[in-house]
Amino acid sequence: MAREVRCKTVEEPSLVALAKTHAATPSFKNKTASGSHLSNVHLCISSSCFLSGAGQDVGRSCILVSIGGKNIMLDCGMHMGFNDDRRFPDFSYITQQGRLTEFLDCVIISHFHLDHCGALPYMSEMVGYDGPIYMTHPTKAICPILLEDFRKITVDKKGETNFFTSQMIKDCMKKVVPLNLHQTVQVDDELEIKAYYAGHVLGAAMVQIKVGSESVVYTGDYNMTPDRHLGAAWIDKCRPDILISESTYATTIRDSKRCRERDFLKKVHETVERGGKVLIPVFALGRAQELCILLETFWERMNMKAPIYFSTGLTEKANHYYKLFITWTNQKIRKTFVQRNMFEFKHIKAFDRSYADNPGPMVVFATPGMLHAGQSLQIFKKWAGNEKNMIIMPGYCVQGTIGHKILNGQKKLEMENRQTISNGQSEIERCEPGCCRLSLEVKLQVEYMSFSAHADAKGIMQLIRMAEPRNMLLVHGEAKKMEFLKDKIEQEFTINCFMPANGETTTVITNPSVPVDISLNLLKREMALGGPLPDPKKPRTMHGTLIMKDNSLRLVTPEQALKELGLNEHQLRFTCRVQLQDPHSDPDTLSRIYTHLKSVLKGYTIQHLPDGTVMVESIVIKVSSSAEEPNTKVLLLSWSYQDEDLGSFLSTLLKKGLPSGLSSM
Amino acid sequence: MDVFASLFMFWLVNIAHSLTGCALQSCSDLHSNPLGGNTAAYLLLIKYRRRYRSCLAVDEMGETSSVENEFDDWFIESLKIYNNIHEYQLEHPTRVIEWTSEKTICVAGYSSDKNEILELLLPLKLFSDDNQGLCAERDFKVVHGGFSVGSIHCLKHIPGTRCVVTNDGFNSNLQVWDVGGDDCDVIKRTGVLQLKSASSDKGVKIAPGLTGGPCVLHGSQISDIQLTELTSGKPLYSLGKDIPDLLSSLQFVSGSVFLACACNGDLYVGDTRKPSALQNNPAGGREGVHWCMGVKTDLFSSDPSSCSVARLSSACQVVVSDLRDLRAPLCQAQLHVQRKTTSDDFMKVTWAPALDNCLAVSGFDGMVQIYDTASWRPELMEFQPLFIHQGHMMSDDQFDTSSAVVTTHVWHPSRPRTVLSAAVDGSVHVWDWVDKATASC
Repeated sequence: MAREVRCKTVEEPSLVALAKTHAATPSFKNKTASGSHLSNVHLCISSSCFLSGAGQDVGRSCILVSIGGKNIMLDCGMHMGFNDDRRFPDFSYITQQGRLTEFLDCVIISHFHLDHCGALPYMSEMVGYDGPIYMTHPTKAICPILLEDFRKITVDKKGETNFFTSQMIKDCMKKVVPLNLHQTVQVDDELEIKAYYAGHVLGAAMVQIKVGSESVVYTGDYNMTPDRHLGAAWIDKCRPDILISESTYATTIRDSKRCRERDFLKKVHETVERGGKVLIPVFALGRAQELCILLETFWERMNMKAPIYFSTGLTEKANHYYKLFITWTNQKIRKTFVQRNMFEFKHIKAFDRSYADNPGPMVVFATPGMLHAGQSLQIFKKWAGNEKNMIIMPGYCVQGTIGHKILNGQKKLEMENRQTISNGQSEIERCEPGCCRLSLEVKLQVEYMSFSAHADAKGIMQLIRMAEPRNMLLVHGEAKKMEFLKDKIEQEFTINCFMPANGETTTVITNPSVPVDISLNLLKREMALGGPLPDPKKPRTMHGTLIMKDNSLRLVTPEQALKELGLNEHQLRFTCRVQLQDPHSDPDTLSRIYTHLKSVLKGYTIQHLPDGTVMVESIVIKVSSSAEEPNTKVLLLSWSYQDEDLGSFLSTLLKKGLPSGLSSM
Repeated sequence: MDVFASLFMFWLVNIAHSLTGCALQSCSDLHSNPLGGNTAAYLLLIKYRRRYRSCLAVDEMGETSSVENEFDDWFIESLKIYNNIHEYQLEHPTRVIEWTSEKTICVAGYSSDKNEILELLLPLKLFSDDNQGLCAERDFKVVHGGFSVGSIHCLKHIPGTRCVVTNDGFNSNLQVWDVGGDDCDVIKRTGVLQLKSASSDKGVKIAPGLTGGPCVLHGSQISDIQLTELTSGKPLYSLGKDIPDLLSSLQFVSGSVFLACACNGDLYVGDTRKPSALQNNPAGGREGVHWCMGVKTDLFSSDPSSCSVARLSSACQVVVSDLRDLRAPLCQAQLHVQRKTTSDDFMKVTWAPALDNCLAVSGFDGMVQIYDTASWRPELMEFQPLFIHQGHMMSDDQFDTSSAVVTTHVWHPSRPRTVLSAAVDGSVHVWDWVDKATASC
């Protein structure tokens, strides 16, 4: 429907356009006179490249949306699989037209995962962007910690240059404007954004972007089933023009959370039973808390005695955040928070580095999650040689880290001596290889478990059902592998589903409601014409002239429009010839027509004028015939544009001929 | 069996514990309980305990916490009784699970109007035997999908092709589908096959041909069984005997010999090379109004004793015989099942392909039961199952899981103790139970 309409519209927006509109709903629904009511979604920098390291899929999210003349960047992620320029989005698409700040109205970050926010300091400080960056409070708190962690691995350990500095992260975070859930934030006079709960990780949000009557919802990563510490994603029936959703997991049917947890417990339990030690490297925030709640419950149920430890500092830090952001956790945790803080554990105690040498089974949660430094690495070195022990990696590891190596099945690790690590980069270069490196054999069991909470095929359908978008846009997927999903969405919801490839631009045409003011004169005239009383449920056609001027639309009488614009009225007349067999003289035929019309058209002004014409309202009828064929009469009809309906009616009527029983006078 | 006596005992124990407020302990008590040795009895107890707890939940506070606990009970228990268990939730329930390759299965909806056929890729975790720990992938992947107007009651894969053949359970037409390759993920319907003498509106049973070109054996009753070439739709063989008994199961046991089980329990042996040859083996006055069969074949062996046939009746009896003599049962058993459903629609019995003498039974309630027939005898006796999968009754979703009925199950072709099962709530479970005999030593 919308496409059809678009073809009909005038290419050059004209100031005055003749339009039909609905009297009952003075909105401008099915005819647009200007081509500017289009909502373009440009996807320029999204990527569908995946790493195959230990079966993890990690892409990079960065989507550019143009809506109602505003440009918004959704997420600014980095690709974890590359070490060169390719890891950051290619902003030249924008910067060749000028500075980022001029082009972008705002940047919105959905959650703190690096594939969604990792390129943020690069964009804002190195490419240069000074506009607002929106993210939720928890994301704002956690994001700089992860960025700093990542910077340390890349610069301090791998010695890479051309990377952002700590100061840049700080400067970048100064540009952040925090978002609250369900709070509408006015970015400028026209652009507003609103965040919805997305589950997935602490602080993850879906955002609705609205300009005028057009809106887009971007989901980021979301989860439709609640877990032990977070709730399920929720959005109201906001009917956006476009719903943009990740589709990395769109074709999966997920194993239940319960079975994942079961597996985790089974592994921990088995190791502890045989007297082994379990090391779980974690990030300070995120899955760690969930796994702690799980182990705590299990220990309680099974009456387990083996000690569980949590890295020093980690508990306090995490507790601090969770207390701060308790509203972001699930209902159960919120409800019990007053009586018992779920993040204060009975069985889980603070870890001291001397405990690592204690005999007997134990479970230790230690940071950092990728085994690149710190406590988790120290413990790993101590325990790696014993096949009774186990390491469970619950998350993703960046290339080059010990975590990444052991997940790829490496059994022998070359490790830098601790002393050289503390002395920094230059020391290593001076050292002979072998004198400061030690080789470590990995005998302990390595387990990889993904607890990441993403919506699967069913979740995407649930979300569409919730938000009722008019168009669906799936990003980050392989189009030919998702034909079925596309068909399914289009059939089930009768909406369009788009799957743009990386770098491709999708343009979606919207049908916005355009308010139009109608002049009182026009309405009065419409009323005077009679007809049924206006019914708010039924559309009704009325005629008028649409004036588009000074950002407003008015529907007025044609006379008023002419007056306002200082134009003369042009007369437009239609003429046509009708052949008629009538064996009478020309004047007789004319009288017969007059009599005929008099009997058919009751209530119209019909005149037989002395100059040999019949006039019905503005319609002029003349009769002529040639000398050769006196019985073949040619009727000339002429009418003005205003009487178009009556004119065409008369021509059709006269084509049928005259009834035989007509008197000529 | 003194199941009920021990049950009663358990109730007392449980009540006592609840009164003293340490209900949690009873779980661990049970483990040291001598009756814990009997898996079947033990599982039954869990079930009753669960019901009892549901009552408690309502009485006390009408809150979900007790209900959650009872799921947790099973959750904790599952750590011991399964090596692996994966629980999936389909959008629409399926009553077919069909292997389309070593790593893919087909499922399909059976609702009255619009349905989906999905080809699912099993997670890597279910295939990698070494280094399993490093394999995090545990989700099904929808590799191909298609839409069917009618419901799907029967779905068979034609070996050596990418074709599946389906029937809606209400007419004798077969729909032929191309599951598709790597270039496209849409399953397309490519044709319709019709029975030469369509005589009923009861739906058709299908058996794919095992050798030669792609062909399919199908029929709604014994008399109209025919073999049809898939590509041309040409009938290659038809039985042409006037036996109007409804067909319940159909299967080839060699390139040309097939077994057909009638709903009344009669077993027929036919040969597509000899249209006139049909051997009838009546069930012989056993109980049960509806019968179906499961056949274990060894295509590489011509020994008729290697082909075991198990017939399951709606009265929960199983009769086992083999090709040497289908009339006389080798052994039989009365199963320990309490029927929850009156419908015979979902009844299914299958032989384990990689485990001797084991068969799985489902369709009476929310459980899949595994029996070891090695101890069964020629005379009818009641036997306890080797293992019960009751995961379909323990889903924590919003469905009323107490009324769950298992719609179908299949064995993994090579992993001895891995079974896939589906239930009316749309759940699909893949499970691999712990063999008590090897676990204890």
